[in-house]
Amino acid sequence: MTVVGLVALLLAAVAAVVVGHRDDRVPPLLGVAGSGVAWLCSVVVGALHWGANAAPTVTGSGRIETGGLPITVALRVDQLSASMVVLATTVALLVQVYSVAYLRGDPRYPSYTAIVSLFTAAMVLVVSADDLFVLLVGWEVMGVCSYILISHHWELEPARAGAVKAFLMTRLGDIGLLFGFFVIGGAAGTYRISGIVEAAAAGRISGHQATIGSLLMRCGVVGKSAQFPLHSWLPDAMPGPTPISALIHAATMVAAGVFLVARLLPVFALSDVAMTTLAVIACVTMLGSALFALAADDLKRVLAWSTVSQLSYMFAALTLGGYGAGVLHLLSHGAFKALLFLAAGSVIHAVGTQRLDGMGGLRASMPVTFVTMTVGYAALAGVPPFVGFFSKDEILGVASDQAFHGAHGRGWLVLVVGLVVAGLTAAYSTRAWLMTFFGPRRGDRTGVPPPEPGWLMLGPLVALSAASTLGGVVVVWPSFLGVEREGWHLGLVLVSLAVVALGAALAVAEWTRLGHMDPAASLGRLRPVLAREASYDALVDWTVVRPGRWLAGLTRLNEIEVVDRYAAAGDIGSQWGSRLVRWAHNGNAQRYLTAVVIGAVGVAVLVGVIGTGGPS
Amino acid sequence: MIGGLELLIGLPLLGAVAVLLLARREQLAAWVGVVVGTVTLAGAVVPWYSTIRDDGRFVARSDAGWIAALDVRWSLGLDALSAPLVVLTALLSWCCLVSLVRRAPVCGFRPGLVSLVLVIEAASIGTFAALDLIVFFVFFELVLIPMWFVIADWGDEEDPIGRRRAATRFLVVTVIGSALMLIGFVLLHVKTGTFDVIALRSLAPRIDHSTQVVIAAFFLFGFGAKVPMWPLHFWLPDAHSKAPTVGSVLLAGVLLKLGTYGLLRFWFELVPSGATTVAPYLGALGVVGIVYGALACLAQTDLKRLIAYSSVGHMGFVLLAVSTLTTQGRAAANFANVAHGVITGLLFFVVGAVKDRVGSTDLERIGAALYARAPRLAVIFAFGAVASLGLPGLAGFWGEMLAMLAAYSPADELSRPTYLTFMAVAGLGAVLTTAYFVVVIRRVCQGASEHDAVPDVEGDEWVAWSPLVAAVLVLGIFPVVMLWSASSSASAGGR
Repeated sequence: MTVVGLVALLLAAVAAVVVGHRDDRVPPLLGVAGSGVAWLCSVVVGALHWGANAAPTVTGSGRIETGGLPITVALRVDQLSASMVVLATTVALLVQVYSVAYLRGDPRYPSYTAIVSLFTAAMVLVVSADDLFVLLVGWEVMGVCSYILISHHWELEPARAGAVKAFLMTRLGDIGLLFGFFVIGGAAGTYRISGIVEAAAAGRISGHQATIGSLLMRCGVVGKSAQFPLHSWLPDAMPGPTPISALIHAATMVAAGVFLVARLLPVFALSDVAMTTLAVIACVTMLGSALFALAADDLKRVLAWSTVSQLSYMFAALTLGGYGAGVLHLLSHGAFKALLFLAAGSVIHAVGTQRLDGMGGLRASMPVTFVTMTVGYAALAGVPPFVGFFSKDEILGVASDQAFHGAHGRGWLVLVVGLVVAGLTAAYSTRAWLMTFFGPRRGDRTGVPPPEPGWLMLGPLVALSAASTLGGVVVVWPSFLGVEREGWHLGLVLVSLAVVALGAALAVAEWTRLGHMDPAASLGRLRPVLAREASYDALVDWTVVRPGRWLAGLTRLNEIEVVDRYAAAGDIGSQWGSRLVRWAHNGNAQRYLTAVVIGAVGVAVLVGVIGTGGPS
Repeated sequence: MIGGLELLIGLPLLGAVAVLLLARREQLAAWVGVVVGTVTLAGAVVPWYSTIRDDGRFVARSDAGWIAALDVRWSLGLDALSAPLVVLTALLSWCCLVSLVRRAPVCGFRPGLVSLVLVIEAASIGTFAALDLIVFFVFFELVLIPMWFVIADWGDEEDPIGRRRAATRFLVVTVIGSALMLIGFVLLHVKTGTFDVIALRSLAPRIDHSTQVVIAAFFLFGFGAKVPMWPLHFWLPDAHSKAPTVGSVLLAGVLLKLGTYGLLRFWFELVPSGATTVAPYLGALGVVGIVYGALACLAQTDLKRLIAYSSVGHMGFVLLAVSTLTTQGRAAANFANVAHGVITGLLFFVVGAVKDRVGSTDLERIGAALYARAPRLAVIFAFGAVASLGLPGLAGFWGEMLAMLAAYSPADELSRPTYLTFMAVAGLGAVLTTAYFVVVIRRVCQGASEHDAVPDVEGDEWVAWSPLVAAVLVLGIFPVVMLWSASSSASAGGR
């Protein structure tokens, strides 16, 4: 079934490129049809593989001989894969439907829809692969698709720069990932993921190998999921069309990093060093990105930083062994973040800007967008009864269990930082919500209130807000995923609700005090620092980009001024040589003979010396 | 007796003569070239198919006395190592011949170029098929002369002096290289009394260690000049930038492979203990080439030179793979060889087409926004670039990934920490490779359109390029076509 879905997506992609330019109506149709078939397949896959005792399905067994361990072309679908496939294809289908209206009349629609289909297929491949290298194919194809989609508007400088940044940062991490695969595959004696997980469970991978392998793989995970220190590409990827942001942030690309750690958790768990490093990275990223989100003045940038921050929650849960909590938050985040981005797209479509100071007062003229986006923000902030509340509570529950009863200090770290960030999340969500929908309409010259978009765009919003509202049911009974829920932590729920309420209340209070102005103004001198995102880009520029350019310039100079000179000297040498030959070739037989004899003796001596001499 | 391989070598040679005889009727001559190329390509697939069937052995053998006084025998045969390279040669030659049907070279006489392409094809197939050191040497040298003419007489029309200098530089460096190689061959003969490669496989490894080291070092520099191995690469950018499109395609796609093939065939298989001593130096020069080539590309302002420097990097991966002395390294090297041939061949075709349209390969003069000015051309260029930077799922990935994997576990006699360092540096080089390709795509394909539109890909270009596009996809999605058996491309010597 997974294979049928993959084939449908690939066929749609090829067809859109080949025949898409003939008629404007064809590419949207192909995109929706391909994703629709893939979605139907995924529903069947889900129905077949969900449940506590569902057996995984393995498809394919083709072997690629490498002269060492073979690569196996095989797919394996279990509860986790099935859930991820359903999430990816659902969001992809909604994005395709939404794009029909959002990108109507775009001359680049055929390539756009083809790449979105390819992107979805790559994600499906990642989550269902049973071989590290098959996974890597999907992983990197997704990377190049995101590069193309971010630079969809390639005539604009920020789109080009953002695309290059995203691709290079993720590629840098992926080299680490590749080497990590070498280490883990070598240690386990197979590149099959199921085999590696078995080997880890059976203790056939030593702690030492697990540490090196996990730390290397972490590079790729950190790059793909935009964690510190490779976090800065994600906010810069915002010049891409908004539906693409929904796809990248919710169900694909950044989710792949979390998925990989969840998939190989038994390997990561062998190494305390790797887990602690990842936990520290997650906490640093979680806190930093929430602060950046508080000061960002671009709606999509706020959402981008919130994605980075929420991904950190998932990693934090996984480093504490909270497999269920991490994966459930991944699924719930997929639903509400897709909702938030698509709703943001609807706002941006209407007002024509991404800047928060160009919005405001939109709740009257865009009621559906207002209500659905409110649901999204509530889920993000962790307000009951929306899905984000339940999944975040799971994570904090795991953290408090580890903090009070576990052996590792990282439980406390995650618990404290997690609670602080829960408050910050509520604050920045409230701020963005107020700035978009309340107060006066800012930066408007027409005086006409922006209208609600059509139902092609609103439909996906309604569907996703339904999922975000009712998804809590799934989180509370997670047996479909093959995991058990640990139960409620009542005291913790009260504390976290209090923190969320405090964060939201502070934002509202400052908003009111400043007379319906940006509450971020109260950050004082911290605000410019956060708005510059702690000058991280400048740091990268000075430590990596400039030295790289300088080295490249030096190499070029060396080619021109040094290497070419010795080649030119060689030219002169060969000219002299040819003069010598011309002098020898003057018809004088004696000279010929002398030259031949000297040459022959020379070669004979050389061969003789080398051939017979020397110790053996 | 005339066997299949004699036909495969003889047919393009006869074709070359026929083309020259028909030279007055230019169009007909070009078509004759295509017909000969098609038949040769079809013929080249046959032995490749039988190497897959007869796992690891030599097929299409022919063996006859030739110059008895020098112990030289006319000995030909193909195995899993050489057969794919013969197919690659025939495929790239076919693409070149097709591209010459509608498009006359800017300067020089078209039938002459067609017949030289056929001669290069014949001589390259002969080199890959030779199983006698002297026969190998003869064919190896025979490739150079037509290539010298191609660069010197059909090259860059704006710079007659420069193209002649580039051609001569190429010739001199490779001839010096093959002189070193010949000394190695003679030494082998002195020690064993035969030039026969199959006999040498059992005889040569018994030569004493120090002689083996000397032979291995001669081979290293002899073949290294051809590959080209850093720092002997200096002839390459000039030769490429001055050569006509078909010259660049054959130079990168076929001629560079002669060097790496030579190392795979004669180096570790014949003088294993010498090669073991020399291998780390080869690996080091390989990875230096990877990073150096990438850095040179990053600051490059000429598209054709850029692709040329990228070849230095890609060949660095092949050298690294060869230097690991493992079966995996051999498989990697062979795969990367073929993949580089099709990808770089495609890139040179596209760059040649850009030059036909805007009259220059200078990035400044090409201008930006090729996606808008010639969308299909730009997309094919971007496709080639993405394949070249090693995207998994396209041809470039498997060879280079396996090269790094081979460096992760090199042969037992080699120092593992050294090779782990090589692997890490190669990985850095792979990131730099990505960097220069995205920078070039940003500069050439994307951007605001200020220049005029140019004609998009035309019918004959589709015909000439589509086999290469297909090959990039097939090798990438089904790498099993070259990695079908544990002993594929491993033949005897590897472990």
